[in-house]
Formats: sequence, structure tokens, C-alpha cells
Amino acid sequence: MMLATLALLLAQEVSGSGQDGYTPPADAQPPLRILGYVDLGWARAQGNGTSFAPGDTRIPADYGVDTFAPAVNSRGDVASTDSQGVFTNGFLPHSVGIGGHPSFLINTVDLDVRYVSPSAPLMLFTRAQLLPRFSSAGDQTSLLVEQAFARVIPFSSQEFALTVGKSDSVFGIEYLENEANLRTGVTPSLIARYTTGQGLGAKAFYRQQIAPLWSALSLNVAASNGGTLVDTLSPQSASQTGTPVFSGRLGYELNLPSVEVKLGFSAMDGPRNDQSQPGVRQKALGADARLVFSIVELRAEGIHLKQDEGAGDKINGLGTHTVVSGFEVWGGYAQLALGFDLGSARRISFYGRYERRHAQFEGFTAITVDRITGGARIDLLENLAVKGEYLKNRELEGAPQVDNDVLTSSLIYSW
Amino acid sequence: MTLLLALMLAAGSAQKHDWLGTELPLPLTVRTPQDLEFKSAAERQYLIFNLLASGKLAWDQGDYAAAASHWESLLQVPGLDADLDRVVRPFAEQARAKAGGKTSEAAPPPPAATREETAAAPRPQRKRESAAATVEGVVSGGGAAGPGGAVITLKRTDGPMPALQPSKKVVLQQGKAFVPRVLAVPAGSAVVFRNEDAINHNVFSLSPHFDTGLYGKGGEKEETFDKPGVVQLLCNIHSSMIGYVVVVDTPYYAQADGSGAFSIKGVTPGEYEVEAWHESASQPTRQKLTVPREGAKLALTVAGDKQPPAFPPDKYGKPRQTQLGY
Repeated sequence: MMLATLALLLAQEVSGSGQDGYTPPADAQPPLRILGYVDLGWARAQGNGTSFAPGDTRIPADYGVDTFAPAVNSRGDVASTDSQGVFTNGFLPHSVGIGGHPSFLINTVDLDVRYVSPSAPLMLFTRAQLLPRFSSAGDQTSLLVEQAFARVIPFSSQEFALTVGKSDSVFGIEYLENEANLRTGVTPSLIARYTTGQGLGAKAFYRQQIAPLWSALSLNVAASNGGTLVDTLSPQSASQTGTPVFSGRLGYELNLPSVEVKLGFSAMDGPRNDQSQPGVRQKALGADARLVFSIVELRAEGIHLKQDEGAGDKINGLGTHTVVSGFEVWGGYAQLALGFDLGSARRISFYGRYERRHAQFEGFTAITVDRITGGARIDLLENLAVKGEYLKNRELEGAPQVDNDVLTSSLIYSW
Repeated sequence: MTLLLALMLAAGSAQKHDWLGTELPLPLTVRTPQDLEFKSAAERQYLIFNLLASGKLAWDQGDYAAAASHWESLLQVPGLDADLDRVVRPFAEQARAKAGGKTSEAAPPPPAATREETAAAPRPQRKRESAAATVEGVVSGGGAAGPGGAVITLKRTDGPMPALQPSKKVVLQQGKAFVPRVLAVPAGSAVVFRNEDAINHNVFSLSPHFDTGLYGKGGEKEETFDKPGVVQLLCNIHSSMIGYVVVVDTPYYAQADGSGAFSIKGVTPGEYEVEAWHESASQPTRQKLTVPREGAKLALTVAGDKQPPAFPPDKYGKPRQTQLGY
């Protein structure tokens, strides 16, 4: 042993001095960083790209089908929302307006600006997105400020973060990968419309580790000017009531070396913010679960949302609408993904998702739909991914059968 | 030390001593890089004392070959105090003479750094040491982060190199960061990851794959890195934590300090390929270098075209958003 040590000393002599690593000073990293991605797509939807069945004259047309079903991209934009002149009442997604034509798309050009203070535990973050749209039948080209917030982590010894501004939802788990470069698949789930909306307000996150149990409990709460519904269903830029909507998620994590389990329960309660009376409420409860081991990732999420009937007009991201029915929905999805590391930052994932949604506007026919999605994601490089998937949409109850399956793909370059 | 040797020799051979043992490493607790430095210093002194004293005991027992061997080993310790060298050298030569020029069976093998040279052309020890050159220089570039932490390696192209000498190093998890952020080690080395934070941490790498699991304050996990290459360290709990272990397959390596300066000592003169890796460079910088006996100076530039991952993956490869704070 002594001789081995001698050899070691000699080796240290030949290998130079100061071999105990390098830690840059706190201000070495540039505080400002610009990130982003561009999401290009190709998609083809069956029929005319909508869920509206030819000859279905029920009104409002969007209350009797699932208009969000033929999604073509990560934003949940559908191929078309053209109801052929039949009256709709503001329960519609964004549309790329390609109808049933196979089309290339520029889905999103994303620009994130992140400033991390070198002297304080402060981060400023802005996410702006350009949505070029070339079809006169769908949405117009627009520029969105999706997020703009300040985040403070006041205690270095605690996992506690405060955020003020416009930021992600805290409801469920789908918001965690609600960008094209992060999402395993191409399209969001059938319930993403209720959970992934951004709100303007404040939120707080706290996590307590329980080391002996390899576990952690976390609480994420938000008070914002709107609920967690996406922008077409709920005006995010202004509250109609001035009363905040509260939402939160209580989470449990089990982090074993080879298995990771994450469970969460979410809730949302506040005024229905497409209404001007605070007494008209909206409430949601959700549960989520993630299980990861080896190459397998299983995630599932469910929600029950109820909105009171309103008294005045409904004002949401699509405009002002006259019918303000009560609304109730049950929905959920389960997704299984198998990921294989190909080396050199390359990776391929195969995934399948089953989802089901049962919804009813008070006084209208309840509808039940489901969707089976299968696809693959290939990370060709650290910053280049390609995805392709097929969505099999089925109308099970209350809605006419319609050809609204979608074949869609996405190429994402990140910087 | 000189006084100690004089006293020991003055005590003569009348008395037999029980030897206390030469076990190394010393059982000193290592919690920080400073602890490790302290332990290395203590072990160096302990080794010097042991070689000094064990040579004397062998002398007293009439095993002159062993005495010569121990003292000759002592004289090879780098940076040995000149006074000690002056005192020990005559005794070593006398012991070697008494041993009839024979090498003891217990004698240590020549150190790795000298083996190839000795095989090629045996020559006196002192001449060998003086043949070692120093390569020093400055790295520039590295973008806004600067050149600090660049790992410079020399690989000989016209002959063999000394064998690698794996070591054990410490990387702390401190203030939700890896400290040091960049650590270079020879292949086969072990790295101890010690959590100094009050919160749990994890260390994992996707390539080569390892995962320490979750552990709390004061906990240590050890990983051995056998394969040369860059290992990106991440924490599965805290997406903002990132660090690098650069596993090198040469004994000639160094890390640039904050100003970019570096120095590699003990380099055998010859032809080398120089490589400089930096976390902000998408490709390492490479160039040829001739190292003469008097040493060489280098000016290297590393690119600054690469940023840390925008969305660091979790341990299953899924990208995470650092701006969320969790």
C-alpha cells in the first residue's frame, strides 16, 4: 500500500498540479440567455378537418361534437373549425385552416428570454411565440406572449419558489411538457384544454424531501386572473370579475434508483371568468400519476370540471357569445411510452395514448368520445427531434360518427 | 526530518523495534476538497517517515538491500526536501554497497512514469528526472463563461506514455450546484459525490449511464469512471444543477484556472497531440506539439459556441424546464 502511494505521488507529479477541478465564479455564466425552437409540421385530417358531421343541424354546433378532436400540432390547433355556417357558441379551439388537405405547417416559432441574476436568487422569463398561418380559413398569423414572469427562490436551503406574472398552470402534469420540443407526442390530450391555460397572477411552489423514505411532498398553488382553461375558452388577459381563481396541486414523489413514482391531486375553484358575476363559479378536481422504470414511462391524468350556468353573455378568447350554459366534463388519458437510448444524444420513443371524454352543456345532449393515439419520437440530435403520430378519434355517444382521424408529424429544432 | 534521521541512526542497532506498520491511506475523514488536500499532505509526510524509518529498521536488522530499497524509494518522492536528500543519499548508497549492489526482493518497482524510459535506455535516476519537461500555457476563448475549467490533455504520438494512475476525487453538491463544476480525472478514477446541502440530491448521467439514487445531507455516493470521455452530471431533483467529469486517458493533463493558465509537469520530451476540451465548445481544440527537454509553452483557443442544455433531461431522458424552479 505504501508503495502504491508512492507511485500515486509520482503520478501526480507528472500529471500537473491543481487537478481538483474548476468551479467558475457565480457571475461567470452569462445572465441573459435566449432559447427557443421552431416547430414545423405536416398533417392530414380526414373529412373536412373538423368534427362536424355533414347534415348535423343541431345548434350550437360546437355543443354537440368534440371540436378539439382533430388536433394537428402541439398547441392543440385543429385542422379546421369550419361549421359550414351552422351557429357555434364559443367552444372552439384554434385552427390552422387546412381542412382535409395534406399540408405543411409552421406551427410555432418560440423565443424564450431568460435572465438569471448573478447576485440575487431571481429569474426573469419571457416566452413569446410567433404563429405564422397561411390559410385564410383558419386563424390569422399572431404573436403571443405566452409567459412573462419573475421567479424568486428566497432560501437556498429550501425548495421554495415564488412566481409573479403570466405563467404556466399548476393543475395536473400536462403543462410540464406543453411545448412541442418537450412533449413526447405531437398533440395534447383531450383534456389539455382544461388544464394547460396560462394565467396572470402569483404562484408558489414548496417541496419537502423525506429522505429516509426516498420521497417528497410538494405543493404548488396559484391565484390568477383566470382558471386553467386554454385561451380560447377563457380570456386570460383580463378577469371579468376581478376575483382571482385559485388552483393547486398536492404531489407525492417516490424516487427510487430504478423506479420513479409521482402522484398528484389538483383542484381549481373560482369565478367562471368568462362571466362578470363572481357568484358564477367553476370548479375542477384532478388526479395524476406517473410511473417510470427502465425504458417505460406510464402517465395518466383525469379531471372533473363543472361550471355554473351564467346570467350574462359569455366572453372568452373567441369573442362574446349569447348562450351561457352550465357545463360539466369528465375526462382522462393514459399514455405508455417506451424510450430507447441510441447514444450520442439520439433517442427513439414509441408511445400510445388512450383518452376518453364525457361532456355535457346543461340542456344539451351529453357526448362521449375517445381517442387512440400511437406514434414515435426520434431525437436525432440534442436539438433536433422528429415526431409522427396517428389519432383515431371515435364518437361513442351523443355525437354523430364522423371521419376526423388525423395523421400528423412535427420536426422541431431547438436553440 | 534530518534531526529525526540523525537520532535514529545514532540509536544504533542495539535495540530491536517493533514496526508500527505502513498502511495507507490514513483513516482521515474526507468531507471537502480541503480535507482531501489535507489528507494527501498528511499521507505524503507519513510515507516519507515510513520510508525513512523502515530503511533504518532494515539497516538495523542487517537487511541492507531492503534498507537501500526503502531509501532509494524515498529519494524518488517528488519535491523531497533538499536537506533530507543530502542526508539520506549517502546512507542509501552505503546500504546499496553493503548489499553488494543487489536489489532487495521487497524493493519497489520503478515508478510508472519511468518504466518505458528505463526499458529503452537505462540511465541514472537523476538524469531521468531532469529529462522531464513542463508544458505550460494559456487557454483563451470559452465564450462568455471564459476559458476556466478547460481540460488540456497531451497524448504522445512517438512513443509510449506512463501508465495512468487513477485517483479518488470529491465533488460536492453545495448550494444546488456541483462543486467543482468541472473535474478532470484519469480513467479508472473514483469520484465521491457528497451532499453538503440540507436538501436531498441525486447524481446521474445518461452516458455513460449511472444513477446514485437520492440521498440527503452528509451522504456520499461513489462512482468509478473507467471509460475516457466527458460525463455530464445532472441532478434528477434539481434541473438547474449541471457538472462535468472529464475522464482522460493520459497521465499528462491539467485544468485551466479562471485566467486560462495551466501547467503540466513531468512530461517526457517527444511528439504530442494536444487536446483542449471546454464545456462551452462544441468541438475540442486539437493541435500537434513537440516537447523538447526544456519544456514548451502553448496558447490554445477553445470555442464558445455551445451553451448548457436549454432543457436538461431527467434521468429517463425527458427534457425539463428549468424556469419552473423544480
